[in-house]
Amino acid sequence: MTIIAISSDSYRMGREIGEKISKRLGYRYLDREILKEISAGSGISEEKLLKALEKTPSALGMSARDQAVYLAHIEKKVIGEFLKDNVVCHGLAAHLYVLGVSHVLKVRVLSNPEVLGKELAPGKDLSGDAMEKLIGRNENARKRWSLKAFSLDETDPSNYDMVISLNKIEINEAVKSIAEAVGYKKFKAMSYSLKCLKDEETAAEARTILFPRFPDAQVRANGPTVVVITKGMKREKQKKALIIKEMVGKIPGVNFVEVHIVNDILRQAAESLR
Amino acid sequence: MCIITISRGSYSSGKEVAEKVAACLHYDCVSRDILLEASDRYEVDEIKLVKAIHDAPSILERRGRKKETYIAYIRSALVSRVRSDNVVYHGLAGHLLLRGIPHVVKVRIIADIDRRSAMEAQREGITLEKARSAIIADDEQRRKWTQSLYGVDPWDSSLYDLVVKVDRLSIADAVDIVCDAAKREAFKTTPASQQKMEDLVTACAVKAALIEEFPEVMVLSEYGNVIIHSASGGRHAQKIRKAVGALETTIGGINSIEVHADGNAPPGSV
Repeated sequence: MTIIAISSDSYRMGREIGEKISKRLGYRYLDREILKEISAGSGISEEKLLKALEKTPSALGMSARDQAVYLAHIEKKVIGEFLKDNVVCHGLAAHLYVLGVSHVLKVRVLSNPEVLGKELAPGKDLSGDAMEKLIGRNENARKRWSLKAFSLDETDPSNYDMVISLNKIEINEAVKSIAEAVGYKKFKAMSYSLKCLKDEETAAEARTILFPRFPDAQVRANGPTVVVITKGMKREKQKKALIIKEMVGKIPGVNFVEVHIVNDILRQAAESLR
Repeated sequence: MCIITISRGSYSSGKEVAEKVAACLHYDCVSRDILLEASDRYEVDEIKLVKAIHDAPSILERRGRKKETYIAYIRSALVSRVRSDNVVYHGLAGHLLLRGIPHVVKVRIIADIDRRSAMEAQREGITLEKARSAIIADDEQRRKWTQSLYGVDPWDSSLYDLVVKVDRLSIADAVDIVCDAAKREAFKTTPASQQKMEDLVTACAVKAALIEEFPEVMVLSEYGNVIIHSASGGRHAQKIRKAVGALETTIGGINSIEVHADGNAPPGSV
């Protein structure tokens, strides 16, 4: 079972490359088409799911809590698909939530600046400087989004195994390089890396359950054990822990839920000032 | 036939990758030896050149422009050394010093900070924490150096054709990927790209010859026709005209030299 997670500064370019790799290797291709299925399963509209993948939360737009819930549903579904088959995935931010899974080849593809500029400002004839600024703004927006959503910088090359710039390298050559790289032995699934992926799936499922009520919860899974860390007042610690245990304990395969409630200093201070 | 520049941080295995790529493609592998060549050619202490290409300029150095002079010497030595292709350069800032040449494959090799710290700790016999701080400080110095002289961040992937992380990809895998890229049609030397290289060699040699006396000059060469641009006005231009008289005989490949003191330097000037 092999997985290739592609990130790109252009959705169109990433899609083209992803489709070509999947065709070449005979892998299944996964992109935002899957949002329909996620929408049907979660009751969250496709539009909101797409917004969670593209926009940073704001006071007038989508709240941080809603984004966290939507992304958790996407994460759960995508990881579930990863556990089934050989997959090429693009446009679903997988490179940011399977970072610790060793058999996922994470690749970033950078478009030719001229092509990207035309894609970002269709029909406009921008000067070199204006195009550079536009590309810079787009990159900063993606950086802000990824930091807010996953506390990781999407543009940081150290989050990938390989970054290919299409400035001079052609699309088919990039496809060939990626298809060959996935053949290296480190990208073969092993029982430990599959367990890590399964754990990520369990943690994502726990997030879909917890985030609507506890949006600041940090969740990790290790086999049948799920560890949840969240903030709370001293007096509500016990009650909160019980609720979380009950909520997460319903997930099939989970038989122990460890809950840590960290003192919510800000709320405590606010209440003491009342 | 092409030139490969490998940019790397300390302990990121970039040196091993460069040496193996050179062995695999039967290319020459050059690095700090460029500094020796520059030191010999321009009679400057090697240590000053090392400092110039490693440490970010201080506020005083920025005013004095001494660092820019040394970098002009290093650049001139580098472009002369790689002009005939089949070279892997893994010294500092190769991708910036050889900007504008189409047959240069610009590669960056990166590695996980933990892996780098472990290597530094083992080699220097220090704690992991100290090694980590040293590597972060070194990376920061590189970042400042590149930003102050070229206005770009060395961690920006768009500066390179390929960035490879040596972690799950082994050194041998990285070598395969780089060698494969170097064989691509897009990086093959063509008569036009070789002409660009020859012009860069000429422009860098002229700049290196003038920079100590005229630190503000910008030089462009097109098919051996050299345009020197001075931002300091007409009086300086006269002095430059006098100084360049001898250059036509000492530097090869020059057809003509023009000195301009008005407007902006043409794009592509060094």
